[in-house]
Amino acid sequence: MASNTALEKTIDKILTQTEKDILSNIQSALTESQQTLDNAVPRLQQEYDKILSDGRKEAEKIEKQIIGSSDLEARNKQLMSLEEAVDKVFTQALEQIANTDRSGNYANLINSLLDESTKILGTTNVSVLTNSKDKDVVQSELSKFPGAELSSETISCLGGVIIKSKDGAMTFDNTIDARIERLKPLIRKDIATKFGVGK
Amino acid sequence: MTVEGGVQYSKIAEIKGPLVIVDDVENAAFDELVEIETKDGERRLGKVLEVGNGKAIVQVFEGTTGLSISGTNAKFVGKVMEMPVSKEVLGRVFDGLGRPKDGLPDPIADKFIDINGEPMNPEQREYPKDFIQTGVSVIDGMITLVRGQKLPIFSGSGMSHNLLAAQIARQASVVGTQDDFAVVFAAIGVQFSEAEYFKRSLEESGALKRSVLFLNLADDPAIERIITPRVALTVAEYLAFDLGMHVLVILTDMTNYAEALREISAAREEVPGRKGYPGYLYTDLSTIYERAGKLNGRKGSVTQVPILSMPSDDITHPIPDLTGYITEGQIVLGRDLFRQGVYPPVNILMSLSRLMKDGIGEGSTREDHGEISNQNYDAYSRAQEVRALAGIVGKAGLTEIDLKYMDVGDVFEKEFLTQATDENRTIDETLSILWKVVSQLPKNELTKVKDKFVDKYYQEK
Repeated sequence: MASNTALEKTIDKILTQTEKDILSNIQSALTESQQTLDNAVPRLQQEYDKILSDGRKEAEKIEKQIIGSSDLEARNKQLMSLEEAVDKVFTQALEQIANTDRSGNYANLINSLLDESTKILGTTNVSVLTNSKDKDVVQSELSKFPGAELSSETISCLGGVIIKSKDGAMTFDNTIDARIERLKPLIRKDIATKFGVGK
Repeated sequence: MTVEGGVQYSKIAEIKGPLVIVDDVENAAFDELVEIETKDGERRLGKVLEVGNGKAIVQVFEGTTGLSISGTNAKFVGKVMEMPVSKEVLGRVFDGLGRPKDGLPDPIADKFIDINGEPMNPEQREYPKDFIQTGVSVIDGMITLVRGQKLPIFSGSGMSHNLLAAQIARQASVVGTQDDFAVVFAAIGVQFSEAEYFKRSLEESGALKRSVLFLNLADDPAIERIITPRVALTVAEYLAFDLGMHVLVILTDMTNYAEALREISAAREEVPGRKGYPGYLYTDLSTIYERAGKLNGRKGSVTQVPILSMPSDDITHPIPDLTGYITEGQIVLGRDLFRQGVYPPVNILMSLSRLMKDGIGEGSTREDHGEISNQNYDAYSRAQEVRALAGIVGKAGLTEIDLKYMDVGDVFEKEFLTQATDENRTIDETLSILWKVVSQLPKNELTKVKDKFVDKYYQEK
């Protein structure tokens, strides 16, 4: 019986000790977990902040993309409509010019075109080309430019003249078409301004 | 722009390379614009290079392929080449000669400006000292770009300079001001795929709205490349000095420009200089680079980032060499870093922004910027020495502090240098990473920064 009591005491002792160890281990595990948890909080906060900031950046980027492309699309459509309107104005203006009455001041215009052209080429010894409508007016003005001859060949243009040196080496295009073409960018701007663009 | 046109001459004496020599010409002017009309009625543009003895030498921008002596006419337009400009050019895409390439009509011009520009009066120049944020850490942190500066990128064949150029174009901004910012991007002799990448990249990021693109493709005539940077800079000057915007001009690749110049020089039978480039290469490059700057009393600025690929990665090649004399520093891309997969592969030890010191610090970026940048430069330089030493004696032979410097090198390349192509870092983020890099070292190693900054920004492990 005595040995049984001793055995029981030993077992009790072991059990108590084990219980103590387990409790201590649990306690230290709890402390450790608490510590890990405490350490993780700022890290988590940082991660959280980073995710939020990345998300914000991404959202801003997408916002910029959407706004940028819609703005451009709208602007491009506006440009196309404006160009269409400018073209319409041009077409109508050209039609009016083509149907201009050849009497009256028109002869003065032809005279100044011939004068300008011969001065640029540096000679009046030239061959002059014009369209069939202007032939008579040009012919009557040529008497003021000694050496100038009207070519039998006609050209297709709204009006005005092309003059060529007799050897064919130099040509000066002073047709109304060429003058309009040279001034087209400025005329387009004027028309656009009338539509309220670029004021 | 005048109503008077020019005289058309039909006596073509010779066609030589990109040049057409016209006979019996009177009253032509140097640099005058010339319209070359082919037998089939096709029109090409050119300009007068030389006049005298009744002859005019005309450089044809769109090449002389298909031209013949008979049937070709040269019309001297009576004006120099002009670029129509207005605010409407923003968001547009043009070719290398400034003609619309986006299917839209010509912009309604506010002004027509001579593409050769007017030289800036040196006395009127204002010293550049305002920071431009590119969002690329290595540039913002260590090779800072300032408004009005000209800072080239020296790259090599096949390296990621185009990615970097597009990233800068997308992300660049001026901080701390409400002033308008614009990017003028001139691609000179680039491949079609690269041009598409630049265009798409700006479109998709929404940055095209504030950009103007000039695209001269590799298959466009080489001679057009002479004009591309000039039309781009003309637009930039208008946006900057007429509209008061801060304009960043990116020119890529200037090597293609110099090669076009060499082609013309060879056709004119001029005495070649180094590597066949003309003797006036320096002067010619300066007419482009010196168009960057700020003017007293004017609100805007023109900042230039020309990009050039160094043939055989040779920094002594005439193009980078002469560019370096004119510009205010350089950003050098390193082949080793590129091979390691580092993007952007900037070799900071060979790079420098001469105007950085005036554009950073309190009031511009942050009080510690200059010192932390110097500390990183110093630490990375030491890291390179330690790496070389480790290659000989092995890691085991290194001291504890040497090993820490090796860590600095690694963190510098992996966290500071390496950046995603769509990652836009603020200057604060950049400076924070610079502190993280040097925080691999004990505090007593940080000899380039004041103690108060160490106390404030050092990142304890």
